[in-house]
Amino acid sequence: MSLVIDKKTYESRLIIGSGKYKNFEETKKALEASGAEMITVALKRTNLGQNNNQKNLLDYIDPNTYKILPNTAGCFSSEDAIRVCLIARELLNDNLVKLEVLANKETLLPNEKETLVAAKELVQLGFSVMVYTTDNVQLAIELEKVGCVSVMPLASPIGTGQGIKNSNNLKSIIKNANVPIIVDAGIGTASDATIAMELGCDAVLLNSAIAMSDDPIQMAEAMKYAVKAGRKAFNAKRMKISDIAVPSSNKTDTLS
Amino acid sequence: MNIILNGKQFSIDKKMSIKDILVQNNIGEKNIVVEVNKEIISKSQWDQTILKENDQIEIITAVGGG
Repeated sequence: MSLVIDKKTYESRLIIGSGKYKNFEETKKALEASGAEMITVALKRTNLGQNNNQKNLLDYIDPNTYKILPNTAGCFSSEDAIRVCLIARELLNDNLVKLEVLANKETLLPNEKETLVAAKELVQLGFSVMVYTTDNVQLAIELEKVGCVSVMPLASPIGTGQGIKNSNNLKSIIKNANVPIIVDAGIGTASDATIAMELGCDAVLLNSAIAMSDDPIQMAEAMKYAVKAGRKAFNAKRMKISDIAVPSSNKTDTLS
Repeated sequence: MNIILNGKQFSIDKKMSIKDILVQNNIGEKNIVVEVNKEIISKSQWDQTILKENDQIEIITAVGGG
């Protein structure tokens, strides 16, 4: 079965961010190599005094080919996040947003209270909200209850590449959810993405793991396979772990 | 007359529209959203929206981000 977010079907279970690349060309190539169909963008003031013909990120990533997921990155209050979402809707003519309300600049951890307030209000304003959150199990339930179309708990803090720090909480969130659970933030390398998928996550959202690697195009491709491998392993259901060795060959008709 | 454009103070002629400001600052109309005093002004209104003293204008676009 494919990934369905807000009634739209995606073949790829990898979502990538567009930050930290050397240039837009590299962003585009990494996106293509990753096989992702959805890519996050941030919204910022334009540079004044720039050349009128200077290329924009959206000139490189065609919104008709890829689902552009605007992110409220850098917002520390529900009010600011809602404002950014309204701007995003005007820019992209689409209701799908990634809500991210941060607690402070040092940890970049989500502000749980403001995230819930913003999510509630955005749903009422007609937005389809994919919400970045902590791995707080109860909060994930509440975010789904207020109408978020996807809940996206962190693996570890943004940009750290530390991988999954609390797989038990992620498992609980997945167990209780009726919307796609997408691990967002903290993935460092391909095996982290695979583990997230093996746990039963519906998708993985990552940015720095690709953009900050030495070879983003190759890492993008690695992530494509990592997510696929993890999903297949999850579907196949892993073997039981045994405390004692069990021979792989048939015990009968041996030579000795 | 003074306005604040993307956080910076600018002195402009009176009766300038949003569209005039975009032209003056060499900002293309594609892929941007314009806010005046935190209110989004749709593209169809850029011509007719005349700026007032101390208006805060934000011109926003999509950039790389996670």
